[in-house]
Amino acid sequence: MTDVPLHRTASFSPIRFLRPLIGPVSAVVVAFVIGGLLVALLGQNPLTVYGLLLSGSLVGWANLSVTLQLTTPLIFTGLAVAMAFRAGIWNVGVEGQMLMGALAAGIAGYALPVPAPFHVPLCIVAAAIGGALWAAIPALLRVYLNVNELVICLMLNPTALLVTGYVATHPLKAPGPTNKLPDILDSARFTNYSIFSQLNTGIFVAVALCVAFAIFNRSTVRGFEWKLIGLNPRFAHYGGIRVRRDVLTIMMASGAVGGLAGAEQVLGVYGAFYDNFSPGYGFDGIAVAMLAGNHPLGVIVAAFLFGALNSGSSVLQMELGISKYLVQVLQFIVVLILAAKFSFAFLKRRSPDDRVPPASPVPQSGQSHVTET
Amino acid sequence: MDGSHLVAMRGIVKYFGDFVAIHDASIDIRPGEIHALVGENGAGKSTLMNLLYGLLPRTGGEILLRGRPVHFSSPAEAIASGIGMVHQHFKLAPSFTVAENIIVGSEPVKSFARLDLKAAEEQTAALSKRFGLDLDPRAVVSTLPVGLRQRVEILKALYRDAEVLILDEPTAVLTPQETHELFRTMRVLADSGRSVIFITHKLREVLAASDRISVMRQGRIVTTRDNDGVTAEQIASLMVGRSVLLRVNKVEAKPDPEPALIIRNLTVRSDRGATAVDGLSLQVRPREIVGLAGVQGNGQDELVESIAGLRRPVSGHIAICGVEPATADPRASRQAGLAYIPADRGRVGLSLQSAIWENMTLGHQNEFRRGPLLRAAAARLRTRELIRRFDVRGAREDTPAGALSGGNQQKVQLARELTRSAPLIIAEQPSQGVDIGAIESIHRMLVTMRDDGRAVFVVSADLDEIFSLCDRILVIYRGRIVGDFDSRTVDVEEVGRLMGGITDGHDGHHADGGTGLPNVAAEMRVGQ
Repeated sequence: MTDVPLHRTASFSPIRFLRPLIGPVSAVVVAFVIGGLLVALLGQNPLTVYGLLLSGSLVGWANLSVTLQLTTPLIFTGLAVAMAFRAGIWNVGVEGQMLMGALAAGIAGYALPVPAPFHVPLCIVAAAIGGALWAAIPALLRVYLNVNELVICLMLNPTALLVTGYVATHPLKAPGPTNKLPDILDSARFTNYSIFSQLNTGIFVAVALCVAFAIFNRSTVRGFEWKLIGLNPRFAHYGGIRVRRDVLTIMMASGAVGGLAGAEQVLGVYGAFYDNFSPGYGFDGIAVAMLAGNHPLGVIVAAFLFGALNSGSSVLQMELGISKYLVQVLQFIVVLILAAKFSFAFLKRRSPDDRVPPASPVPQSGQSHVTET
Repeated sequence: MDGSHLVAMRGIVKYFGDFVAIHDASIDIRPGEIHALVGENGAGKSTLMNLLYGLLPRTGGEILLRGRPVHFSSPAEAIASGIGMVHQHFKLAPSFTVAENIIVGSEPVKSFARLDLKAAEEQTAALSKRFGLDLDPRAVVSTLPVGLRQRVEILKALYRDAEVLILDEPTAVLTPQETHELFRTMRVLADSGRSVIFITHKLREVLAASDRISVMRQGRIVTTRDNDGVTAEQIASLMVGRSVLLRVNKVEAKPDPEPALIIRNLTVRSDRGATAVDGLSLQVRPREIVGLAGVQGNGQDELVESIAGLRRPVSGHIAICGVEPATADPRASRQAGLAYIPADRGRVGLSLQSAIWENMTLGHQNEFRRGPLLRAAAARLRTRELIRRFDVRGAREDTPAGALSGGNQQKVQLARELTRSAPLIIAEQPSQGVDIGAIESIHRMLVTMRDDGRAVFVVSADLDEIFSLCDRILVIYRGRIVGDFDSRTVDVEEVGRLMGGITDGHDGHHADGGTGLPNVAAEMRVGQ
């Protein structure tokens, strides 16, 4: 260790901080260009359409508050997905966890007469537990039986819809023609902030959670360990991190946040659990997390973008008669680009490995995505 | 044009962006010679050959093949002109047979464009017979050991009439016996008038196998000379630009009596369920370096994984510093006092996408813990110190570990593990894929650790390393320890025989021509 070290001068470069933004920003730009071409094919001026999309979602409190209302559930579900993805766990079951959380919040909201200051927290906790328990099913299967969580999560989404639907149409159905639970008590309601929309306290909860997880990821030992599990689980295991236990924890924490998305819908938007209320917020959360690069603060931005697109699309439909599905096309293109980039990187990482015969004792600089527990 | 050159590369220059990878390099390849291209990792050996093979476009210079200038824009063109290359990572379809792999891309066909598999098998058999490369054309590649897969690659090039065969680090994945056979094959090819270019950084192999030697350093060919009266030390100093110690300077070991690692009657199964470690017992004491010599696949991996808690043994006892840690729990093994440097850096020992500071902080979290918080700034500062202390080149604390060369990745692992206050150090293949300069400093680090009172257990497929580094040598064969020697009183041949499972002591053969490689009969390879 007496060798002369090779000295490198440290240079500060703003590019290092901007680099993570290149991917998502270019994906969005490309999506908008392709979307513009589609609009032009439909005989409309793309600039007019995009201008209307922008003003219809952001200009004026009425439009903005709708955007914010639609952003809120996406922050929750995006964060839930991002937490799991960052640790290399494929929790694509946030839709189901949200439904379970919503059901739990809906029951706690009407069936438990608790004094006002405690009712909302109680419902939130119930929703978190509901989501976490639903997430525990794939987590336990993965940790103890090595079953791929992605498949289980996908199967549990429709299962959750059917289970909650059964509860809302049979045992706990409120009187009347609608398949819903009885309205929650006023003491369980979030405060509404707009006469134009159902914007509610939930958005503050959502943003606060994102900030909390950003700090957690950056500054805690656990956050450090979870990141290593995501990047190389075998390395984490070798280094003494309790990977099994942590995977279980992460999955359930992710499910709890997913459950909170349901609480926000019940306590802040609908005031009761309605059967089949979700237009797929849990799935959109996957797109949000991908666009955000799994960064909690990026989730806020990405959720706002998708929220604005959704809210602007109704204006678009009203004013120009352009189908609101145009916006979904844009979202899908964004996801496709990000997914393509992702799988490309995945393949690039894997390919050197695949060429090494399995019996080879030589370590290679490839990074396999093998999960180890 | 000088007719004696099959290939001439003149004034080759290659830029990667601003980085000069090849700097005015010239090399001539004669027909019928084995030409070793040596140099440290990153010296530009593979890059130069990739330029010849058409994998990379060159920035400047010219390549003459049989006196005529050529421009290959793809390997396909190079192959068509009679240049073949066997890469470090084989490019074979594991589920295909040998014959299928060899003919793929230029398949013999019957009428109606039907694949003529029979012809393919016959051609393969004829080819392997002609070059003495014993291979069953119908064997499925995934069932073959590494050495045979390499033969498939070589045959594949020969099937395409390669006159120049480039072998990129061919021995990196081979056992000593397989290496020996490869050298024989290379000689057969050279005798048939073909040229073999042999890329390596192992000096013994260069001296044992080549006719001429070209040394590369920092993108230049610093010399080309006949392999005649050249010594390993001379080549080594040409490679690194200074003289290096090929043997480790160390004082005599004075081991403490109380062992830091005790293994008793340990039995471990491999992934396939075979008994890999078979009732094995051994001890490693503080203040000694014990080397485990053996042909790959005789249970070393399973043994080390069991000690490290990465594999659950079937039966037996492992005690680290007097404690029997819970089985299959890496955390418990570490807490008992183990520091482990795994051979598989890319998948186990490092997270290649993570920054160096993250790689160096795993296992040290408690030193940087303040309540639930991680003092990342302090962890980075320590990493910066370790980068200096362990001489990790070209690195800052935020550099991803995957951006480093093999030797520097190894130093990152060492820095992390050796700075833990663990009395027992297990280093698995510590110098694999590491260049000479770095091997020297890694060996010195391990000796320093020994002198500091730690127990060091080295598992290595490299007998040179075992002999120069270790105080005591254990030989493993089929999951059992079959020999236990003081390294000063045993010779390479004896250890080599035991590695091959020969216990009568004299089989009448000796290692030839000073290769230092144990001369073990070919059938031993099958036994692994």
